[in-house]
Amino acid sequence: MSLKVDRDSMAFTFKGGMLPMTVMELTSADPERIREQLAGKLSQSPAFFQHTPVVLNVEKLDEPHLALERICAVCRAHKLLPVAVRGGPDPVKQSAWALGLGWFPPQEASRPRALESVVGDGDVEMAEPLEPAEPAGEEAVTPDALPGTTAGGRIYRGTVRSGQQVTAPEGDLVVVGAVNAGAEVLAAGSVHVYGALRGRALAGIHGDAQAGIFCRELHAELLSVAGNYKRLEDIDPRLLGTTVQVRLSDDQLGITPLA
Amino acid sequence: MAKIIVVTSGKGGVGKTTSAAAIATGLALRGKKTVVIDFDVGLRNLDLIMGCERRVVYDLVNVIQGEAGLNQALIRDKRVDNLHILPASQTRDKDALTLEGVEKVLDTLNKDFDFIICDSPAGIERGAQLAMYFADAAIVVTNPEVSSVRDSDRILGLLASKTRRAERGEDPIQEHLLITRYNPSRVDLGDMLNLEDIREILAIDLLGLIPESEAVLRASNQGVPVTHDDDSDAGQAYADTVARLLGEEVPLRFHEYQKKSLLSRMFGGVRR
Repeated sequence: MSLKVDRDSMAFTFKGGMLPMTVMELTSADPERIREQLAGKLSQSPAFFQHTPVVLNVEKLDEPHLALERICAVCRAHKLLPVAVRGGPDPVKQSAWALGLGWFPPQEASRPRALESVVGDGDVEMAEPLEPAEPAGEEAVTPDALPGTTAGGRIYRGTVRSGQQVTAPEGDLVVVGAVNAGAEVLAAGSVHVYGALRGRALAGIHGDAQAGIFCRELHAELLSVAGNYKRLEDIDPRLLGTTVQVRLSDDQLGITPLA
Repeated sequence: MAKIIVVTSGKGGVGKTTSAAAIATGLALRGKKTVVIDFDVGLRNLDLIMGCERRVVYDLVNVIQGEAGLNQALIRDKRVDNLHILPASQTRDKDALTLEGVEKVLDTLNKDFDFIICDSPAGIERGAQLAMYFADAAIVVTNPEVSSVRDSDRILGLLASKTRRAERGEDPIQEHLLITRYNPSRVDLGDMLNLEDIREILAIDLLGLIPESEAVLRASNQGVPVTHDDDSDAGQAYADTVARLLGEEVPLRFHEYQKKSLLSRMFGGVRR
């Protein structure tokens, strides 16, 4: 028996990956109410609903039996693709599996909510809000918060240093300073860096394909818009050190000089 | 009130202990009552650099655990009156330090000294974080090398978030950059990062630049801080650094490569 694995004969390899994921936090188990709210949101920002994969978070619900199948049907009818369920008691887990969905254990109580939390080792700096946070409620998605705009954005003044992460979970992120190697800046909208970008920049982390990355001096380790990424190695060396914008067109990440 | 200064870097072997010893000596030579504390519990080195290894009886851990008084553990420097050394323990590890214990020691020293220099261990773990936690200022020691610059950048992030000043929302720690082992001729050849690149990436004020020098190794092995060797380039560079730390304006030296003229080759010049 040989332990040698012929690379050409392998059908697949397993790889770890961190993908941006929208979490739908349910506060009601009533499929009708979910349907009404989704219909309203669909008319406000149709760009968001393009078979977007979502994780249904049912931690806030206190019901042993959910009409999971109907909730999923409502989501699919509105071009949201439920891929997994997070939290809930054992019967919920069983019915998720029965529906071919994955199941994630509930979030640890100590961690903040998914879209506002920042992964990392704790020395995270949240930048100052660009404008007061919008009251959460029915009107969470206002016309101002359409893709590509700065509603709920953040401004960070100073150098983002190695090991630090700065996130704008709801809008654009503006960094007035450099982003150093080993640092990471993330935004639901666009990322603007008025300085050298040497670290990682991820725009459109919730899937906004209209988002872009703008920087004064490009040396980025990684550029990503809505999950499409380029590594430093993939970037045309002639663009390094120049002022550029990064946009997604035809699922390709394009880097163009900013005159 | 003493000013607490941590000498830190993230990366090991860049010259933290050498710099802590040289700067503490320089401050004492300038008449400031100074104590230098070795926080590198388990890898005690400062006493060797300071040349007092034969006089260590008690150490920082003994004091924190109440096995000895602070005055029993403090070693008075033989060469400079104003200088004291608080050695680390070689037999314990960094878990023997507690935040409360360190605070108590620093509070006591605060009354009697002008400057408390904390020589941080390498890394970003508990030992390094304890050394920086109570600091008013930090000297970030960096070599002209990419990995050292990145680790210094990481440490600067921690200084801005994991210290008492940051947690209490007080004025931030003063951050100073000290570049060591700088060799202008190798910078010219492209072997080393140049001064401007390092300053641009780290974006903090430059406190000093110490040239790569034979005097440093000689000083370490003899247990005489290099500041005493005032004929040497490194000794002079540390004296400049100390002067800047005391608020004086001193022009930068030793950062440009000077081809030796025939005359200076014949008559020497600054000894390296």
